[in-house]
Amino acid sequence: MDGEEGLKMGTSLKRLDTIIGTRQLLYTLLIIFTLIPMFFPLRLPISISARTKKVYNYIDNLKPGSYIFIDFDYDPAGRGEIEPQAVAMMKHLFDKKCKLVMASLGTTGPVMFEIMRKTNPDIFAGKEYGKDWVNIGYVAGGESAAAGLARSISGTVAMDAYGNPIGNLPLIKEADKAEQFALAIVFTTGTDTLYYFVRQWFTPYKTPLILGILGVMGPAAEPFVAAGQAVELMVGQVAGAEYEVLVGRPGIGLGAMDAQSTSHAIILIFIILGNIMFWSVRLRGEKR
Amino acid sequence: MEMSVIWRRTVPQLLVAIILVVMTALYFLYIDKTTKATLNYWDQLLINYSIVIAALAAIVGGVDLARYHVALIMKREREQIPFSLITLFLEVVCVVFAFYALATGVPILTQPQFSWIYLNLQVPTSSAMYSILVFYVASAAYRTFRARNPPALLLLIVGVIVMLGNTSLGFVIWPGFTPLKDWIMTVPNAAGYRPIVIGVGLGTIILGLRLILRKEVTWMGRRD
Repeated sequence: MDGEEGLKMGTSLKRLDTIIGTRQLLYTLLIIFTLIPMFFPLRLPISISARTKKVYNYIDNLKPGSYIFIDFDYDPAGRGEIEPQAVAMMKHLFDKKCKLVMASLGTTGPVMFEIMRKTNPDIFAGKEYGKDWVNIGYVAGGESAAAGLARSISGTVAMDAYGNPIGNLPLIKEADKAEQFALAIVFTTGTDTLYYFVRQWFTPYKTPLILGILGVMGPAAEPFVAAGQAVELMVGQVAGAEYEVLVGRPGIGLGAMDAQSTSHAIILIFIILGNIMFWSVRLRGEKR
Repeated sequence: MEMSVIWRRTVPQLLVAIILVVMTALYFLYIDKTTKATLNYWDQLLINYSIVIAALAAIVGGVDLARYHVALIMKREREQIPFSLITLFLEVVCVVFAFYALATGVPILTQPQFSWIYLNLQVPTSSAMYSILVFYVASAAYRTFRARNPPALLLLIVGVIVMLGNTSLGFVIWPGFTPLKDWIMTVPNAAGYRPIVIGVGLGTIILGLRLILRKEVTWMGRRD
């Protein structure tokens, strides 16, 4: 390759690098490749990770009729990632005839729960409010609220989310303290909430915890599992999709997995192209 | 020492220090069942106070938000006025729904109007804001995941494995991506995060000690 050809190639590479580096191109491709699988599903196979299987087995081995406390504490932005987990796990719990007490340490939680309940009515079909499930609603106070609910639900809140006196609900008469719950599940978009439950539910009462969290929260929550403070994590949409497969109820989690695959593929292609450009220019001895 | 300083500084500091000692003792020390049953009432009472204060703080926050945006409108900053007006309008709407719930006894959660606003305004806007992050993340990944040196190459490899391990595509390419991703998250990642968690714990202990010793005053909103 003579000098002129080399110069031309170098210029072409730089031009290609500029085109690939254009944000608009990446953004447009991302939109297209996220939308396409929504309309034309690829139906890629999904593997079940050992972690999701562990959560499934743990719930499956609970005694029928166990009392479960669920903290609904995610905001609308996290709905896509956490709602699939919540729906699939609640279906499994109800199938196991478990009795669920829901509460929210975040203001958006009760509304997100209502949206989930209205959009998935089959989960609650045949379940009686007050006996099979109860929704306490929002409890202000953050960690103090978690501590109060652990000591006594009826001692902390006077009414449930629908204005019923808490003392009139048969389920709360049966399960009022952290010690009485076989499991506490935390669906949250806030890392602080995980600390609240580890400190106020697991440490003093040894109530087992399962943490349903966003993908970005996964790294921060791992030490809780490693230390034995949480049974396991359900991280992001993928965990929800896997659980949907396990309980045999495909939902939005599974539906969005193809979009996640194609969008990740686009990002990976761009990373590979970026590295090819980078090394092509570097090997030619040009500074970047 | 002046009387005003005692009321303004010393009394709140002493209150916080005493409550901190009592709560710490109740949480960490072994106390026999009879004593614990007696103390449990006071423990629950303190927790309930805290919950009531937090609920009232939400009202203070709402009033403060309204004051802030009214002040912005009064300043006649043209670009800001529409946003402040929208914020104030929506705040008033939520307050109206709350009073409607109080007056009629229909809980706010079951009001179809409130649910409609939440489902059609709050949920899509909030989701859109979060979703926009994907573009920034994608752009940042493209620019930063360059194998410039061995540590950058390691970051690139780990990043790619975790990305593929989170997708069905990764499973199609090689089924080993999922367990490998799980190993990365549970072993090296947990090891890296554990010191941060321990550091947070130690920091909390130091903060508690500073509060008990009355060295920490920033919580009172001043440095005197």
